[in-house]
Amino acid sequence: MTMTRRQLVAAIPTAALAANLPRGARAEDGRKVVTFWFGQANSDGQAALRNDLVEAFNASQDKYLLQMEVKGAAVNNLLKVALVAGNGPDIVQTAGPAYLTAIANAGQVLPLDDFAEKYKWKDRFLAPLLNTSVYGGKLYALPRDYESMHLFYNKELFKQNGWKLPSNRQEMEQIADAAIAKGIIPFGAGNADWKGVNEWLMTVFFNNVAGPDNVRKALSGELPWTAPPFVEAVELSKAWYNKGYFGKNYFSLTIEQSFLQVVNGKAAMALSGTWSFGTKSYGMSKPDTVMDVAPTPSLGSAVSGPLVHLACGATLSIAKTSQNAEGAAAVFEFMLTRKFYEAMNRDWPGKWALPVKDLPPEMLSGIGYPLFEKTIANLHEAFSKGQYGFTTWTFWPGATNSYLIEGIEQVWLNKITPDAYLTRLQTLFSQEAKEGKVPPLPPRTA
Amino acid sequence: MWLFALPALLINVCIILVPAVLTFTAAFFIWDGVGTPVWAGLTNFQNMVADPVFWSALTNNFIWTAIFLTVPVCLALVMAAALLMAPKARIVVQSIIFLPRIIAVAVTGRIFQGMIFSPATGIVAWLNEHGFSISDPLADPDRSLYAVAAVDIWHWWGFLAVVFLAAMRQISVDQIEAARLDGAGFFALFRYVLLPGISPTLTLMLILTVIWSFQVFEFIFIVTRGGPAYGSEVLATFAYRHAFFEGDVGHAAAAACVMSLFGLCATAVYLRLQITDDAQST
Repeated sequence: MTMTRRQLVAAIPTAALAANLPRGARAEDGRKVVTFWFGQANSDGQAALRNDLVEAFNASQDKYLLQMEVKGAAVNNLLKVALVAGNGPDIVQTAGPAYLTAIANAGQVLPLDDFAEKYKWKDRFLAPLLNTSVYGGKLYALPRDYESMHLFYNKELFKQNGWKLPSNRQEMEQIADAAIAKGIIPFGAGNADWKGVNEWLMTVFFNNVAGPDNVRKALSGELPWTAPPFVEAVELSKAWYNKGYFGKNYFSLTIEQSFLQVVNGKAAMALSGTWSFGTKSYGMSKPDTVMDVAPTPSLGSAVSGPLVHLACGATLSIAKTSQNAEGAAAVFEFMLTRKFYEAMNRDWPGKWALPVKDLPPEMLSGIGYPLFEKTIANLHEAFSKGQYGFTTWTFWPGATNSYLIEGIEQVWLNKITPDAYLTRLQTLFSQEAKEGKVPPLPPRTA
Repeated sequence: MWLFALPALLINVCIILVPAVLTFTAAFFIWDGVGTPVWAGLTNFQNMVADPVFWSALTNNFIWTAIFLTVPVCLALVMAAALLMAPKARIVVQSIIFLPRIIAVAVTGRIFQGMIFSPATGIVAWLNEHGFSISDPLADPDRSLYAVAAVDIWHWWGFLAVVFLAAMRQISVDQIEAARLDGAGFFALFRYVLLPGISPTLTLMLILTVIWSFQVFEFIFIVTRGGPAYGSEVLATFAYRHAFFEGDVGHAAAAACVMSLFGLCATAVYLRLQITDDAQST
C-alpha cells in the first residue's frame, strides 16, 4: 500500500503520540514496565538509585522492569501537571504528606489498602509515619523515610573552648554568646540555594519553644497560631537572627557552604536535618570526624528535654491511571528487603531510612557510619514511643507552610512584627483547615 | 490568503489563545492544580488586592520597567552611536557586548550569585578581605531588586546596542555627512540625526521593554526567588509561588491577568502609534 504525502503528514503526530505512550508498556523481553520519577539527587545519590534500586530490582525478578528518571527540583510541579493530564509515572513520589494531601484528595493516587493487606504493610511500618498518609480511613502512600532536625556541632571546637552540649535555652545562648565573642559563628546557616532552610529553623523554634503539645493543638485547630507560646517562639527566632547567631550571611550562603563552616571550625553548631548525613563533603562518616550530633535541646519551659521532630521527607504512592499497579507494589516490597535497606543506607545515608519495624536500626551497624547509626536508632526509638515534635514540611498545609517560609524573613528583617506574621499564618491555616488541606496528624502514642 | 495563514493561526490558537483563555477562566475558580475547580467569582481578585505582597510585587514591576526603559537603553544608544562612528572596532566590540546574551540565563545568574555577589566565594568576599566593607546586595531586601536588575542589564544591553546599531546603519550616510559638514559634534549628531532616524526601532524596543518588564521571571527566580522578605518579588514570581508552592492556581491566574493587562496596554499604545504614523505618511 502506498501512502500519500498528506497521509504521511497526518500519521506523524499519531506515531509521535504512540511512541510516547508509557502506559502498560512492555520491555523487549516482555516484562511490564514500571515508571518512577525521582526529584533531586546528587551524583552519589544517582549512582545509588541506579545500582541499589533500579538494577537490583530488575535483577531480582523477571516480571517487571523498573525505569527511573531523575527529574530535579521541579519534580513536584511536573508531577501535578502530569497526573492531571493522566500521564504521570506509575510510582508517584511526593516530597511528604503536605504535598500528598492535594493529590490524594483529588483522587489522583490509588488507595493502597489491598496491597497493604497482601504485604502486611500496616503491621510492618511505624504507625506514626504510616498514619501521615491515611485520608478518610484509606492508606494512600508509604513513607519513604523518616527525618528529624538535629543539633550538629563541632566537638573539637567545643572541647577546645570548654563548652558542653547545651541542654536548654540558657546554655545554648551562653555558648552562642561565647562563640560570637571569639569571632566564631554560633550556628552555620544559609538559605541561598533553598529557602526551605527557614522552615527547618522554624520547626525547631515552634516545637522546642512552644512545645509539641501546643503545636499539635494548633494543627488540630484547638489553639490559634497567635497564642503566646508561638509568639515567644517567633520572637526568639527574631532575637537570635538579630543577635547574629546565624551569622551575617544567612541569605548569601548555600546549605553546603554554611554546614562546612561548622566542619571547618568557623561556626560552632548547625540546626539541620538527618539528610545532612548524605553529603559526603561533610566527612561525618569518617572515623576522625570533628562532628557530633544530638537531638535539639529544649528552648522553652514547655519542653522538658531534648526533642526530635517527626518528619516524612517523601511518600510513595501508585498513580490512579497506572496500568501496572502490581508492578509498582512489587517495587515497594523490594524496597522493604534487608538487602536494599542496607545497600541504600550505605551508599546514600539519610535518604531512604524506611520506618519499618522489621528493619531495625541495628541493621545499619555494619555500614561504618557511627553518627548516622546512633541518630537513626534514637529516631526509631523516639518515634516508636510517640515522643516527637512536628515538622512544618510534613504537617503544615501548603499555603500556610509557604507563608511560614517566606514571611519569617520579613520578621527577621524587621519588615513586619511577630504578631502580624502569626496573624497572617493563622488566617491562612484557618482557610486551609476549612478546605480539608491539613495533613493528618498521627495518634500521640505509637 | 486565509489558507496561507492557517498553519500559523492554528499554532497561535493552540499554544497562545487556548492557554490564555484557560488562565483567564482559572482566575475565577479556586483550584489547587490537581483537584476539581470550584467557581469563586471575584474572590481571587479580592484576595489578591488585599495581599500587601501583591502591591509590593506590582511596585517592583514598575521599578523594573523604569530601570529597563532608561539604563540599558541609554547605554545601548551611546554604544551604538560610538560603534557607528568607529567601524573598525565594530565587529570585535559587537561580539564582546553581545556575548552575555547568548549565555544561558541560569549560568549568568549563578555567575553573579556565586562569583560576584557572594560574601564567601565572590568578588564581594575578596573586597571584604582587602579592607572594603561590602555586603551582598542580594541579601538585602531593599537592594536585591536592583542587584538582580544589574545582572539582567549586563545580559540585555549588548543586544539592544546591536539592534540600535543595525537601525542607525539604515540612516542615509549623506544625512550624517551633511550634519558633520554643518559642524555637528557627536551629541548634536546623536540628538538631531541618529535618534530621529531610529525612532521607529526605539519606540518598538521601548514598548517591548514595558511588556517584557511585566513578565520578568527567570533572573529573579534563579538569583533571589523573589526574596529576601519579598524584596525582589515581582508579579511573575508571585504567580509562580501561588501556583506551585501554595497550590492556589486561581490566585496565580489572577496575578497573571494583571501582568497581561499591562502588556495589553503597551501593545495598544504601540498600535495607536503605528496607526498615527501610517495616517501621517499617507
